Amino acid sequence: MNRVCVVDTALVSAFGDGLPPLWEGLLVGRTAVAPLQRFATGRYQSHVAACVPGLAAESGESLLLPLLERLLVQLALVPGDCRVLTASTKGGIDLLERRGRGELCSMEAVLPGTLPALVARRLGLADAGLNINAACASSTLALARGAAWIAAGAAEAVLVVGIDLVSEFVFSGFSSLQALSKEASRPFDARRDGLSLGEGGAALLLMSEARARREGRTALGTIAGWGSANDANHITAPARDGCGLVLAIEEALVKASLTAAAVAAISAHGTGTVYNDAMELTAFARVFGERPLPVQSLKGAVGHTLGAAGAIETIFGLECLARRVMPPTVGLVEPEEAGRGRVAAEAQSIAGDYLLSTNSGFGGVNATLLLGRPSC
Amino acid sequence: MLSAHITGIGWVTAQGFGWGGQGGAFALIPGELPTLSRADVFPQPDRRFGRMDPFSRLGLAAVTFALRDAGLEEWREKRPIGLIAATAYGCLATDRDYFATVIPNGGALASPQLFAYTLSNTFLGEAALRFGLTGEALVVSEPSPGGLAPLGLALENLAWNGARAMVAGLCDLAPPEGIPTVPGLPPGAVFVVLERDRRTEAPNYGELRRDEQGGYRLNGAPVATMVDLVRQGLTGNK
Repeated sequence: MNRVCVVDTALVSAFGDGLPPLWEGLLVGRTAVAPLQRFATGRYQSHVAACVPGLAAESGESLLLPLLERLLVQLALVPGDCRVLTASTKGGIDLLERRGRGELCSMEAVLPGTLPALVARRLGLADAGLNINAACASSTLALARGAAWIAAGAAEAVLVVGIDLVSEFVFSGFSSLQALSKEASRPFDARRDGLSLGEGGAALLLMSEARARREGRTALGTIAGWGSANDANHITAPARDGCGLVLAIEEALVKASLTAAAVAAISAHGTGTVYNDAMELTAFARVFGERPLPVQSLKGAVGHTLGAAGAIETIFGLECLARRVMPPTVGLVEPEEAGRGRVAAEAQSIAGDYLLSTNSGFGGVNATLLLGRPSC
Repeated sequence: MLSAHITGIGWVTAQGFGWGGQGGAFALIPGELPTLSRADVFPQPDRRFGRMDPFSRLGLAAVTFALRDAGLEEWREKRPIGLIAATAYGCLATDRDYFATVIPNGGALASPQLFAYTLSNTFLGEAALRFGLTGEALVVSEPSPGGLAPLGLALENLAWNGARAMVAGLCDLAPPEGIPTVPGLPPGAVFVVLERDRRTEAPNYGELRRDEQGGYRLNGAPVATMVDLVRQGLTGNK
């Protein structure tokens, strides 16, 4: 099995372009969740979300396009033989909103297969690409697939792009489900009351170790294992016993030939909804027992970025491993009882070489990645 | 070389609906899809089927027929069987219907019931919980749809991820008004069941192989599309 290295990354979040503004914001406990200006929220459950600053589209164009451009421009040279996987839950859904309100606009970007074509064309890649939709685990599964291709020798380089927008379409939906927090979400807090939506994108260039060496690329970290499992329990709610997430974690450990003891920290899905966070803590306890283990969620800071979440959190997780520190869970005040000793409002040190990243979503989906330091 | 045995085929097309063992004719042709009732799909009452959006009903029905054909519909313990569907339009028709509930009254009457079906993978979740399927479940979309990408991913899952079986295929309604039409893609859903090991009691539609160059062969004969594959499989099983 070939080792899978991450050799380049790009990120856009509500903190701005690149990882540094997000990282610095996290360390001081800042949230980018703010009052929404993009559409009227008067009739919704919440009035806040984490939007990318300065995001504006040409007339008749989706906001997805400038967001994608701000992402791709950050990448160094992407090899022409690179395969392309994109991940998005709703792509250019803002176009459907505008069409619904009678505005004339080109509807190409609303087709899910358009996104990989846009990426391939922009970067001059030969591969036509593929978009993966598995709800909020979309980019996690895209990364898992890309890693599997490289590990099996089916590809030497894979570019994975996860991206999603804050749209009235999605905002109204979560509001109708009474799933939004009125303020910035508070993942793993005893008084959490819902999620905050966010938008953003992340791109990761994966390479086999041999190819990375040939190209003189520096590995930022490795994807050592991956897993996926369905709860087979409910369409919009997680299984309370965390059965699917447990299976997905166990699969990733087997793939990496590691035991649970090797995992030094967890970047959790941590949406801030009552049931998701409780499910995750239950699953972590089933796999890792009672031992101290730093657990963190980004979503109180950048919001829930849907299909982009896994890719953003992977870049974040690699940085955590590199710096051996887990920044605070923004929004956390009083940890949920099952999370005490794991989630924290302060930075925690990481004593080990592997970080588990998890995401779960509608349709009972669970997906996990085991990230390793470059030497692993 | 990746390979698997095809042990089930199910479809809903403008020509009708059914599964391989029924001996019915299969053709993915332009036209109006049949309106499926719960009784057409499930012998027993099903509270959710009638409430689903048309995209989910279409996909769930074809997955159900494929599992039935393979003898995998009945279950007691959850099983490591995965689901991969390709779609060009996804649930855009549902998206349009949902957003029509958002526009009036500033979103105050947005439908939570419809919103749950505005993800293209929701019908895979419906199938997973009905049939106890715990394998990977995802939807893929290609710039040029209609190919064998979902089957390729399914073969990979069987070879690399420990899946016992995979259900893979395609699912598309006709595009809603105003959405660009993808040429040569009639509405319909067709799914096949792929298994690593051949079960003697299961139908045998042939062995699918993917070679190192990415070409697919069913019992040695090249196949390029899902329609090719299903036609050849049904013919070879007669």
